[in-house]
Amino acid sequence: MNSLKVASRPVYLDHAATTPVDPRVAAAMAQCLTAEGEFGNPGSTSHDYGDAAATLVEKARAQVAASVGAHSDEVIWTSGATEANNLAIFGAAEHYAKSGRHIVTSRTEHKAVLDPCRELQRRGWRVTYLAPDGDGLIDPAQVAAALQPDTVLVSIMHVNNEIGVVQDVAAIAAICARHGGAWLHVDAAQSAGKCAVDFAGFGVNLMSLSAHKAYGPKGVGALLVSRRDRGQHGDAAGGARSFAHTHIHLQALHFGGGQERGLRAGTVPTHQVVGMGLAFELADAGRKAEVARLGGLRERLWQGLQLLGGTFRNGAAAHSVPQLLNVSFEGVEGESLLAAVRGRLAVSTGSACTSALQEPSYVLRALGRGEVLSESSLRFGLGRTTCEQDIDTALAVVTEAVSRLRRISGA
Amino acid sequence: MRYSALTLRYFETVPGAGALDGVGILRGAAGSRAQGTWVQFDLQVSSGTIQAARFLAFACPHTIAVAAWITEQAAGRHLQMPLPETVEELSQRFAVPIEKRGRLLIIEDAWRAAAQSGEHH
Repeated sequence: MNSLKVASRPVYLDHAATTPVDPRVAAAMAQCLTAEGEFGNPGSTSHDYGDAAATLVEKARAQVAASVGAHSDEVIWTSGATEANNLAIFGAAEHYAKSGRHIVTSRTEHKAVLDPCRELQRRGWRVTYLAPDGDGLIDPAQVAAALQPDTVLVSIMHVNNEIGVVQDVAAIAAICARHGGAWLHVDAAQSAGKCAVDFAGFGVNLMSLSAHKAYGPKGVGALLVSRRDRGQHGDAAGGARSFAHTHIHLQALHFGGGQERGLRAGTVPTHQVVGMGLAFELADAGRKAEVARLGGLRERLWQGLQLLGGTFRNGAAAHSVPQLLNVSFEGVEGESLLAAVRGRLAVSTGSACTSALQEPSYVLRALGRGEVLSESSLRFGLGRTTCEQDIDTALAVVTEAVSRLRRISGA
Repeated sequence: MRYSALTLRYFETVPGAGALDGVGILRGAAGSRAQGTWVQFDLQVSSGTIQAARFLAFACPHTIAVAAWITEQAAGRHLQMPLPETVEELSQRFAVPIEKRGRLLIIEDAWRAAAQSGEHH
């Protein structure tokens, strides 16, 4: 894939934000849009058009499921990971509201998890926000200690979107299973399609997926809803709790058509899910080699940046995905750093910059980084289009920018 | 964040960035790095008239651009004169978002501190 090798465009190192759609995926999607293709409503199975579309939708469901170690009937299509997170959190909280109103999550989750949790707090739920260690990792023992008799949901992301650290979700899942009443939701938007994900093997109950982080289209994602029996329920936490079901159930948030097992009403967009299915299938092929390649490029970048001095790698290097590097630069102001590289390099600070005043990254603050270093960070997101020349260009651009800004600031 | 062409030009070329050395250089600073904005001006003055000016800034592109422009305008101005433009006028010239106007006050404070440091000489 060489679609980003346009000389006049900046080097793209923001693959953690989004990725270009694989041309093969785009071609497959296009086949589902026009009169010559499978444009039918997959819900209209009373005729061939709908049947053909439904066949493609189910094929895509199987492709996604196979890619992440799930069964096809566990895949619920959504508009993206944000909707999947909302469905998981509100859907579980509402369904189990009579069992408990306590949720456990971490301070470094994506806003698509934190904001629903805050909304539930506003509605009367209690939420425990776990603090990661200085490397960004949550110790599963922290989860065990935070669980209360009325905890109904734990939401911990697989790979952090700013610093790339990988949480031990399998260990956390085991803790939740032992507790008996707490279901585990994992936001896997940054991992699925990029690194090994095993929904069943992890023992997770709910998992959010995104297509556009893995060379699929924007506007589609999925929530995996486990149909596995948990096996152990009831009074494991010491309470007299009982559950009518042995696998997780959710309260739907959308109504009007009964699609997706009644959990997500609305016509399934055939072209979108076909794109996601193929993108996930393609991602599986050759992933091991790609992981090794990106790991090498990331280390080349980090080695070069270290020569600047006053550079701090954010997140545990030994527990992070190879496609992401987050670095704070001493002696430079964050917004100026981003502006200085803009035009030659497409990177992000990783923080939600929705106003004119750039906010320090709440993720880096949670790791204990000071306010200035939290603001003066760059997130480098490597991907399929990234080559050695891109890394060397990035090194040259960042080195020049940091050096110039340090001179201006007298640092 | 989008910047005006003028802001980008001064942010990229930063005329007047640096420090002045020597006897009689007036220096003043305001703000703090810990809080994200710090500006320092150095003024070389002869008979009450500014001969040269330099600045250092740990700040956003708007603040750096405005400080650079002020430094460029400084030569030939009387030390006790205020900034060449008011904060409001500078905001308009460089299309500074209203949320950032406070940073221009830091520039004004730094300039004033440099000019007033001459009163002790």
